[in-house]
Amino acid sequence: MKSGHLMNALLGIYIFIFFTYLFGPLLIMSVTAFNSAEFPSITPWECFSWRWFNEGKIAYDGQKLAGLATDWRLHDGFISSLIIGIGVVILSVPIGLAASIVLTQVHSRLRTIFYSISIMPVLFPGVIIGISTVVLWDRIATIGGEGFISDLGRNGIFLTILGQTCFISTYCFLIFVARLQRFDQTQEEAALDLGATQTQVFFKILIPYLMPAIASSAVIAFLASFENYNTTVFSILSDQTLTTVIASKVRLGISPAISALALVIILLTLILAIAYEVIRRREDKKKEERQNRLLFEETNDSRLKKDNKKTFKLPRSIFLFLLIIVLGGFGLNELAKNGLYGNECVKAAETAKKSKFSDQLKLLQQNVNTVDENTLKGGTLGGTNDYNNIFADPNLFKNFGGFDNKTEK
Amino acid sequence: MKYFFDKNGPLISTYFLISILFWIVFLIIIPQLYMLDLSFRPNLPPLLRGGPDDVHTLVHYKHFIFGSETSQDKFNYVDIGVFFNTIFTAILVTVINLCFCYPIAFYMAKVASPSTSRLLIISLIIPFWINELLRSFALRILFAGEGVINNVLLGTGLIDTGINFIAQDVALYTGLTYAYILLMIFPLYNAIESLDSNQLEAAKDLGSSTIRTHWRIVIPHAKAGIASGCTMVFMLTAGALATPVVLSSPNTYWFTQLIYQWFNMNDNWSRGSAYSILLLTISVTFVLLMMRIFKVKIGEIIR
Repeated sequence: MKSGHLMNALLGIYIFIFFTYLFGPLLIMSVTAFNSAEFPSITPWECFSWRWFNEGKIAYDGQKLAGLATDWRLHDGFISSLIIGIGVVILSVPIGLAASIVLTQVHSRLRTIFYSISIMPVLFPGVIIGISTVVLWDRIATIGGEGFISDLGRNGIFLTILGQTCFISTYCFLIFVARLQRFDQTQEEAALDLGATQTQVFFKILIPYLMPAIASSAVIAFLASFENYNTTVFSILSDQTLTTVIASKVRLGISPAISALALVIILLTLILAIAYEVIRRREDKKKEERQNRLLFEETNDSRLKKDNKKTFKLPRSIFLFLLIIVLGGFGLNELAKNGLYGNECVKAAETAKKSKFSDQLKLLQQNVNTVDENTLKGGTLGGTNDYNNIFADPNLFKNFGGFDNKTEK
Repeated sequence: MKYFFDKNGPLISTYFLISILFWIVFLIIIPQLYMLDLSFRPNLPPLLRGGPDDVHTLVHYKHFIFGSETSQDKFNYVDIGVFFNTIFTAILVTVINLCFCYPIAFYMAKVASPSTSRLLIISLIIPFWINELLRSFALRILFAGEGVINNVLLGTGLIDTGINFIAQDVALYTGLTYAYILLMIFPLYNAIESLDSNQLEAAKDLGSSTIRTHWRIVIPHAKAGIASGCTMVFMLTAGALATPVVLSSPNTYWFTQLIYQWFNMNDNWSRGSAYSILLLTISVTFVLLMMRIFKVKIGEIIR
């Protein structure tokens, strides 16, 4: 018995570590979005500010760091991601639907082959799907000559839609297959016996039955398309989607604006997940109540009656929310007390950094003054004096008419 | 064929046929075949394509093995090194993921109460709705030179100088393990959940130790789930691009980054295709290997 307790404790610790690994990085990233420093960090905490969600800042050395609301690249990328997502949903849901229904109608060998081909795209690495789409369409565009086909074959958004549809259709296909396994074929037969045409059967029986699967596959297709990077980065060509913008930003240097973006996405996800869970629980409860009522009516047994009594139970998650609110309030209070919030704090930090920066600048300038002119010219041997000014011949561009400045006004 | 049209009616049959042909022929088969073809062709400027120089050649595969003609080395150590490093790391990440996820999956499936395991599942899914790039970025914040971990370690006095996690690839390995953990847990969870709990109790009553129970009962039962999870994690890790872009050190390359470089920076599409074919070959080999080892069908690997 004692070893059982020990095992449970170990398991509990393990689960705690696991979820810390899962959520810790995201949590820390969310917090860094509120630090006003240029580098996303927690420990040298500068000030609490919303600047990375709004206008960003101009760093003390003149570098412009855009915030979330003012970054036009992110906005453009977001819009093309939306367009691509909608395009992928429009293409891949019908494809998955058709493939899954046909799967129920073919048999034996053909069925195995068809199924294997259908799930193949999931096994391809994403980069390969992107590359193969691009090389094929580049060829088609070359053969097609000038005009519509050529434009289409070199349109990044169009290629991305095709490339993503290739494997997202498989996701939809799998969702439909799972739902169709529980479909009662006799319904179809009954409708046909009663004189319905095949088309009517399809629209009046199959589609309504598959409606939940259609909805969930549309959502999953959109999300998969929205967050795809591996395929998109090849097939998007010269355009940009949200993910490629984020990737180029991350590669160029990390800024808290990305943390801010991530926080927005995390919050949206959380709200969606909670809403989904609430709806599910409500439906489950309804179903349960209905079953209880049926059971009660059937047996008419008084023992079951007390189950029907409505009880108000406080959901346990309330405590979690209360804890978060209390902690948040406490944190804000501390921030306000220590003067770590508001414009004054930001200004103070700025001036501190600026003065530090200008000190360094002054030091550099002093160093410049002390440098020997002679060494700058390359010493006594070689350098400008011996070889003339080969790097910048002052006469080189004398007779050059100059750049065409008129058009630029 | 006639049976097919009779069964579905003309309108619906046409829709089925068009969409399936479009998908399978136009999106799946032709692009891959064309890429395979391109990988055997020399890298020519667009005007010379289809001309007399456009013949089949093994030049790109030769380049992968022997390096460029101007180089001194006998073999192309850089590319081959990157290739095997990628495969080896992907296998390592897969094994770590399997060991890391198995207890959680077992806990969710057999130990926890249904409501707890529902809660756990939801909290597992939430992080994976967030973009892979952003998750890697979160780890980057932790592991950077002036990042949170270094600052905490320095602040508590455990170390004197900051550790460069990114140069030592710690960040990359952590990120790759982090990125696809969900795809390991769910197949495992589904497989273990279908195990009859009575079997576990019977084993316990008959005096089997915990480890023996797992080894003889749970793992054989979860075979398909293990195969499926390992395949998915290996494929995605070997083909990952987003995580290495964010987390790899400047002197470590991932094989996909190499492909990216040939493709986008050096504009050598046919060599990029050849390298993609290599990646595809290794992925397919791995799937077949898993199917052989665990004796499962391809349908069981992907739910």
